[in-house]
Amino acid sequence: MYIIGCTVLYLGLFISAYSLIANLIGLKKKNRRWLESARGGILSLLLISVTASFVLFYILATGQFQFNYVASYTNENLPLIYKLTAFWAGNEGSLLLWVVLLCIFTGKLVFSKHKRNPMMPYVSSILLLNILFFFVVLIFTSNPFEMTDTIPADGSGLNPMLQHPGMIIHPIAIFLGYAGLAVPFSFALAALLMKRVDSEWIKLTRRWTLAAWLFLTAGNIIGSWWAYLELGWGGYWAWDPVENASFLPWLTVTAFLHSVMIQERKGMLKLWNISLIIISYLLTLFGTFLVRSGILTSVHAFSNSNIGSYFLAFLLFMIALSIFIVIARYDLIKKETSPIESYFSKESSFLLNNLILVAGAFAVFWGTMYPLFSELLFKTRVNVGPPYFTKVMTPIMLCLIVLMAVCPLIAWQKAKVERFFKNFIWPLSAGVLAGVILYFSGLRGIFAIVGLSCTVSMFCAHIKEFVDGIRARRKVKNENVFLAGWKLIRKNQRRYGGYVVHIGVAILAVGLVSSHAYSQEILKTVQSGESFSIGKYELTFNGLIEQTANHRGVVAAEMEVEYKGENIGSVRPEKIFYDTWPEPTSEVAIKQHRFTDIYVVLSSWENKNKATFQVKLNPFVSWIWTGGIIMAIGTLFALIGGKTGHFHNTRMSVTGDGEF
Amino acid sequence: MKRKISIFVIALFFIAPITGFAQYDYNSPEFQRIVSKLHMQGHSDHDVATCSVKQLYYEEVLSMLNKEGMSEEDIIQYYVDEYGQTALKEPEFGKSGLFAWVMPVVGLAAGAVLIGLWMRKGKTKAKSVHESEGKWQSEVNREMTEKLFDEERYKRF
Repeated sequence: MYIIGCTVLYLGLFISAYSLIANLIGLKKKNRRWLESARGGILSLLLISVTASFVLFYILATGQFQFNYVASYTNENLPLIYKLTAFWAGNEGSLLLWVVLLCIFTGKLVFSKHKRNPMMPYVSSILLLNILFFFVVLIFTSNPFEMTDTIPADGSGLNPMLQHPGMIIHPIAIFLGYAGLAVPFSFALAALLMKRVDSEWIKLTRRWTLAAWLFLTAGNIIGSWWAYLELGWGGYWAWDPVENASFLPWLTVTAFLHSVMIQERKGMLKLWNISLIIISYLLTLFGTFLVRSGILTSVHAFSNSNIGSYFLAFLLFMIALSIFIVIARYDLIKKETSPIESYFSKESSFLLNNLILVAGAFAVFWGTMYPLFSELLFKTRVNVGPPYFTKVMTPIMLCLIVLMAVCPLIAWQKAKVERFFKNFIWPLSAGVLAGVILYFSGLRGIFAIVGLSCTVSMFCAHIKEFVDGIRARRKVKNENVFLAGWKLIRKNQRRYGGYVVHIGVAILAVGLVSSHAYSQEILKTVQSGESFSIGKYELTFNGLIEQTANHRGVVAAEMEVEYKGENIGSVRPEKIFYDTWPEPTSEVAIKQHRFTDIYVVLSSWENKNKATFQVKLNPFVSWIWTGGIIMAIGTLFALIGGKTGHFHNTRMSVTGDGEF
Repeated sequence: MKRKISIFVIALFFIAPITGFAQYDYNSPEFQRIVSKLHMQGHSDHDVATCSVKQLYYEEVLSMLNKEGMSEEDIIQYYVDEYGQTALKEPEFGKSGLFAWVMPVVGLAAGAVLIGLWMRKGKTKAKSVHESEGKWQSEVNREMTEKLFDEERYKRF
């Protein structure tokens, strides 16, 4: 297995280098045979990377502890699913996953029906450059098939906190997002190299970008869900450098997805769109560098190694390459960009949306990197933790919500203020009414109330769009509500899919604001039979239970929960002791009641009848996960739909290309 | 004067025991406010049950509140004097920390100014092009705009 594993990695290195060179020669000599040879190389890379993955899966599943990676992340008693998902538990495996995804995506592109697109050799060259880099890293610093000096009797096991369904999906989703972003990035550079700065590359990559964004969204939300359930500190987002690393490209890709609409429709913002997708892709490399270099302290960064320097070198190379290509084509882009015609139009509101999203990305980047800057510039060590990000990002996100409330109601090209207000009066009234109701129901906190009111406005603005559309259809086509609704959405899946995503954001925002502003916490030591209160809830501790099962010791607390004197059930927070792990882990007990999570952690105990609990009331946290699911559904809807317009089809037919 | 002094003495009688014997615990808002600002050498998000560093901080803060009668500001300042700015979860507003707070605002403002200038320039350009060359800058522009209007007109049907 060692020989097979290492051989395929070396083959990967040589074939990716060969395919890249073959592509470059083919392009220079305009020789189809070289290009065909490069395509063959890509097919081989696909087979090679899949073989490497199967070998890693095999050695993980069969517990071959002579391999360092297997011994470090698995043990005999680990359930099979976690043995397999240990694939992406460490540096080596996750990088292999990344290269496999890159090879699959490159293969998909060069063997698709658009394989004759003249852009393809350029695109595949840039992707091959990425693949080559990852094979270099895998061979020279992170070989998953490296052997141990002595074969251990058993492995160290997987960190118990990673033994959770969330951690099976989260890394794959993030890597799908990262690898997926390499595709639009490659198309953007290819378009520049070929001097084709029209919207073709955007149309060809729309689904790739949208899919990458979907995976980044899912990855971030699933990661938060895992943190909430598994880490036991009662939160879901800690603004840790690792979290910020995946949030940064999400923000810039979100901006890109909005601004490309302006280019597609109006031929504007060409340089901006190219810059945004380049920045988004570079941020995936930067994030990986941040996570793996150890330059910043993080609670869940990968172990330090010299892998960071490889990523830094590649990042700098890609920055230089991108800047060089953009500068070389600057005049062309500038010449072909149309100007904006009105301050009050959908185009301007999208621009504002981009400004806010990019400003948010800059704020997160700045906050993440500031400890380094401060040490370098002022020789002062500082921490930039959650309070900083909350203070900086709250107004930015609030502006974004406001913009999301007004943007759908503003017309393209040149909007009329009176017409806009006529449309906006109902969403605005709903928001104001919500604010008044919240205030008189006893809620306090200006930011929270304003945030929730704006979210209600935003939600209503989108519902109004659906209602108006359905009404118009019913009036003209005489359809029933459901049929009219279905046909309305089917007719323009991109638009209404986007609106569904926005509705998901509104629901998610309610969860974020409420859980942040109105959570309560208590730390209490109680005797068996004793009760304590938090908010309107009363918890009664009924004693501890000890049991051993599946090579782990469990200490569980039995507790009854009452709401205003009425029993609403029981909770069972646990502490679990593993044979193979030095620290016990907390198994949080969560009871949902009226959109509030009663979050109970068994903190410590003196004996069977006396224990300490950390209890939090987190309102509307479940709305974050619901909002995330709605966002995913909306994105899928937009992904499936999105026919090309007449204008672009005409343009495409000239070059013989179509849309994905 | 005598009356004022006697009122003050009586008031002191009532106030002194209340402040003197004020007992704070982990759930006191004052305690929560203080610990929420402390970085605790990277242990602030750890489980208090298993983290000895966090336990030490909690005990110290409670002791400063209850036994030494220190105020919130005094306690924060004590940790800043002891460990510098790394004692806190966020940079201070003055000196070295100022950059941390100001830069996002500067970034946003700079972006807004750039967009404003770009839009102004673009508007002027569009106007002059429309005036000099008729309504459409090019056939492509005309097609794009017509398509846009068609799409808007029939978006629901």
